[in-house]
Amino acid sequence: MRYQIKHVTEYQYQEEVSHCYNLAQMIPRSTTRQTRIRSELKVSPYTAFNAQRQDYFGNQSFHFEIQQPHQQLVITSTSEVETSPQAFSGARLDFGVSCSDAKQLLASSTEQDVLLAREFMLNSPMAKISDELRAYARPSFADDRPLLSSVMELTSRIYNEFSYSPESTTVATPLSEVLENRAGVCQDFAHLQIGCLRSMGFPAKYVSGYIETLPAPGQEKLVGTDATHAWISVFSPTEGWVEFDPTNNCIAGDQHIITAWGRDYGDVTPLKGIIFGGGKEPHLVVSVDVSRL
Amino acid sequence: MTSTLSTSRPIQPKLIYPHASDRADEVYTEDGKVREHWRYLLDSLKTLGSDAFEDRNTKARRILRDDGATYNIYSETITPSRAWGLDLVPSLISSEEWAVIEAGLLERAELYNLLLRDIYGERSLIRHGVIPSEALFSHKGFLRPCHGIQLPGEHDLILHACDLMRGTDGEFMILSDRTQSPSGAGYALENRTVMSRVLPSLFRDSHVHRLAPFFQQLRAKLTALSPNQDQPRIVVLTPGPYNETYFEHAYLANYLGLHLVQSGDLVVRNGYLWMKSLDSLTRVDVILRRIDDWFCDPVELKGNSQLGVPGLLEVVRAGRVAIANPLGSGVLESPILHKYMNQISMALLGREPRLSSIETYWCGDEQDRNYVLNNLDNLVVKPVVRGIGMNSIFSEQLDQQQRKQLLQAIQANPMHFVAQPVINAPHLPTYIDGVLQPRPATLRSFAIASDTSYRIMPGGLTRVGIEQDTFMISNQRGAHSKDTWVIASEPERIEGRREGAEAAMQLREAELINLPSRVVENLFWMGRYAERAEASLRILRTAFMMLHGEEYISDVFKRHLLQAVTEVTSTYPGFVNADDELINAPETELLSVVKDPNRAGSVCSNLNAMLYCADESKQLLSTDMLRVINDIRDALSELDNTLSGDLASAPEEALDPLVTALMALAGLTQESMVRSVGWTFMDMGRRLERGIQSSSVIRSLIVPEVSEADQTMLIQTVLSSLEVSISYRRRYGTRMGVQACLDLVMLDNTNPRSLIYQLNQILMHLYSLPHPEESRHELPAEERAAVEAETLVRLSLLTELSSREKGQRIKLLNQLQQLNQLLSSVSTLVSNKYFAHRESSQQLVSSTWENDA
Repeated sequence: MRYQIKHVTEYQYQEEVSHCYNLAQMIPRSTTRQTRIRSELKVSPYTAFNAQRQDYFGNQSFHFEIQQPHQQLVITSTSEVETSPQAFSGARLDFGVSCSDAKQLLASSTEQDVLLAREFMLNSPMAKISDELRAYARPSFADDRPLLSSVMELTSRIYNEFSYSPESTTVATPLSEVLENRAGVCQDFAHLQIGCLRSMGFPAKYVSGYIETLPAPGQEKLVGTDATHAWISVFSPTEGWVEFDPTNNCIAGDQHIITAWGRDYGDVTPLKGIIFGGGKEPHLVVSVDVSRL
Repeated sequence: MTSTLSTSRPIQPKLIYPHASDRADEVYTEDGKVREHWRYLLDSLKTLGSDAFEDRNTKARRILRDDGATYNIYSETITPSRAWGLDLVPSLISSEEWAVIEAGLLERAELYNLLLRDIYGERSLIRHGVIPSEALFSHKGFLRPCHGIQLPGEHDLILHACDLMRGTDGEFMILSDRTQSPSGAGYALENRTVMSRVLPSLFRDSHVHRLAPFFQQLRAKLTALSPNQDQPRIVVLTPGPYNETYFEHAYLANYLGLHLVQSGDLVVRNGYLWMKSLDSLTRVDVILRRIDDWFCDPVELKGNSQLGVPGLLEVVRAGRVAIANPLGSGVLESPILHKYMNQISMALLGREPRLSSIETYWCGDEQDRNYVLNNLDNLVVKPVVRGIGMNSIFSEQLDQQQRKQLLQAIQANPMHFVAQPVINAPHLPTYIDGVLQPRPATLRSFAIASDTSYRIMPGGLTRVGIEQDTFMISNQRGAHSKDTWVIASEPERIEGRREGAEAAMQLREAELINLPSRVVENLFWMGRYAERAEASLRILRTAFMMLHGEEYISDVFKRHLLQAVTEVTSTYPGFVNADDELINAPETELLSVVKDPNRAGSVCSNLNAMLYCADESKQLLSTDMLRVINDIRDALSELDNTLSGDLASAPEEALDPLVTALMALAGLTQESMVRSVGWTFMDMGRRLERGIQSSSVIRSLIVPEVSEADQTMLIQTVLSSLEVSISYRRRYGTRMGVQACLDLVMLDNTNPRSLIYQLNQILMHLYSLPHPEESRHELPAEERAAVEAETLVRLSLLTELSSREKGQRIKLLNQLQQLNQLLSSVSTLVSNKYFAHRESSQQLVSSTWENDA
């Protein structure tokens, strides 16, 4: 599937910002199932310096520096990508490696991809292992059950047992609270599922991106429309990385457009940085347009 | 030879180091024989005797104090500076043994360099299973944003330090590695400098390997790292005067001839790094950093860091600035690596390492964890990341509750702990309470990258435990240090530079113009505070003398005198509009104006402010100035004792040492400071303050209309506190006239304390500063204000100023008030124009950093 994405981020500051240093992760990366055909990132006001690079996780990082006073910052990221479905499909959910064999392989395999995937079994600042998460996840992970079938069940349980509620959380809401309130947004569900998988001893990473919504009649409208989206990827030692979307109760498909991945949101924050001045609580407006070409 | 060491006194206790057999000792072999390379030193000490040694010890302490050598202990909040402890008995290593150690350290540095490159590059050690993934990925020193950064040349690891100790097998082994901003090399140099001064002949005759070539290599390597080969600018980045090793930062910067900067002095603009100097930005090419990795850039690393330079990492990535050691190198300090050192060495070097590492159990490994949990009492538990509050835990010393907490902590986060066996360090003779006693010691070694390999500092910093059985030896725990002498078997070829502080590489003249503006600002304020303190001391001293003098003083005079104290020191309300009770018993208030550190305007608070400014601009002050500053610090801390409540004992005399020290400082400023921009600002600060203070003295004592007798006394007070009594008497005899007095203190250009003199100097300084080239000829605002002030004074008419109206000299009052305003605005305008003020910054999105709780 070929898409054009226009992602506009607008900060309105209460007071003038004299200068700022920022790091944007808004340019879609290429992956085994996605090719970035072109991309362009515009910043207003003009940047005194900018540079694009590939970061530790293989994501596109865009650094910029503004040296003129401004009260409004607008970043427009336009890109064109070609996506395809994951190699893994739901039809194979019941045939893969079992949870216990997967654990065994994770511990003993000398394959490079397994050794490197073990990084994602560890705590990260926003998705930490806990007894509560383990207790929540455990019923889905019977030893002899195929790992990916277990993950799919966990995905469904999060979808069914948690309510989508933008008011209930902020970026800083801890996982324990999300778990207790049974509510959150895509980002919380992704962190929750990552925390559950790591607590069970499986590598999981955070995927940021966009999702195409299909407004066709009779079909349920997918949540996450016209906004950035987040889901997860879990590592199976025999099947590799497989993406699941707990917000939409599915295996991520070619409508899931990947921007970046990392251990958690902190590694893929769309825009972060240091501003000088600006006053309190800047006003942020984000708009996303995904259109099929 | 020994004759030069012995003194003529016939009987004195000999300094002998007896053999005790309970622990391995560097001096004695197992069967109690003195090792060959110790013999000469022990003989010399014996001959020298303890009295003479004590003299040398006193001298050494004085030198350390004069050099300002301190080590700050974090937990001591009130007086954080602690004098650097140097034990004068050096640690000796024979050339033969050193050759073996040196080869091992060279190899270790090479290995760690390859390790650093692999960790932030291919990570082949992980890919090939040489070390478990978690050993790297769980360590908080592994900074993912630093991936892929490489320095030019063969080495990414520029500096490498190790803590070493002789193990039970008699071989040296490595206890830990220091790789992000290893400290101690500067202290080692200071130790050496002191030793060569207090024990010159012993030092000379011992043929000790010299340290200077190591520092030459450091300077050369830093220069070679510069992306800009045309006069690279290299800075030492320090967290500031409150850091534990600030002395060393300033000392090294000074010795190497580099600018000492704080992060606020640096800024990223247009993709390059710059230093904020007076009225411009100057490019920075190389940073020798003393700030820990994750504090260095709030954009990509710890977001709420106040010690960093926003955008720094991206400048590094673009290769436009080099940082030694590179950001991210802290991961090499992980003790987990020690567990796998043999495998790592096999993988990267193809052989087992020459120097072994201390046996290390990592709790992230199941087998090791079980061993640790079962053998806790025989082990030291260490967190894998160093930091404040992250100390080694000696489980034997824990009570039941603490032990339980430790076990829980290990079980909750096993990957964050290692354990190592308890090994007692061998003893070294140490001078304590007049005798030589055995103390355990470890050695910190230093390596600096050269073109093709590394250069090892011969010797290093030896640290000794406080007690005979001290196990943890660290400066934060109060350990003392020793110079380490590698005894050359033959005299060393001299490579050009002499040892010691006088051989320091000076900042080039051109560099002095481009001082960080923070340093200049501190010099400006140092001048102002010194002068303010001096003016306050003078009026206070005059007041004490008048109050306790033989001469009768009227109530009116007394009131004006005391009000002048309040006005000159700005310690309102004080004596202004005070009731008679306070005027008749002024002692408590006067003492508070002298020594209350929490009272703005007190002598004590002004001097503290001055000392702070001196700390911040230390590298520009001469050794003599630093010595005087130490005198002021000492006199200040003595003030409480010398100025106890009893005023009968001539309090003015207690103030004398401070006045003298401040005078000495002023004199040295004139005589021993290079006339750089820094001096200009310091002197300008002094002149501005003196103008403001003098006009304040004149205003409070001459403006009021009083009886002739009181007038005479008030004029005397003015003359005395402005230090011109003698000049006045020589010129006008004993008759005290208002016009004559005003002429001398305001208009006389030959009196260096007159107002007009200050104004002329201020103008001269302003003209001498760099001016931007502009086509228009109008004066900049600060010059306008100064010219106006000068003209105001120059156009004064003495008859007008002395004329009286409604009980006051109203014209004089108006003019002095106007002058005061103009001087204040000169100060403000100069500050705004030349000094960069740190703006407050914030994170766009607040982030959670790895180490945040």
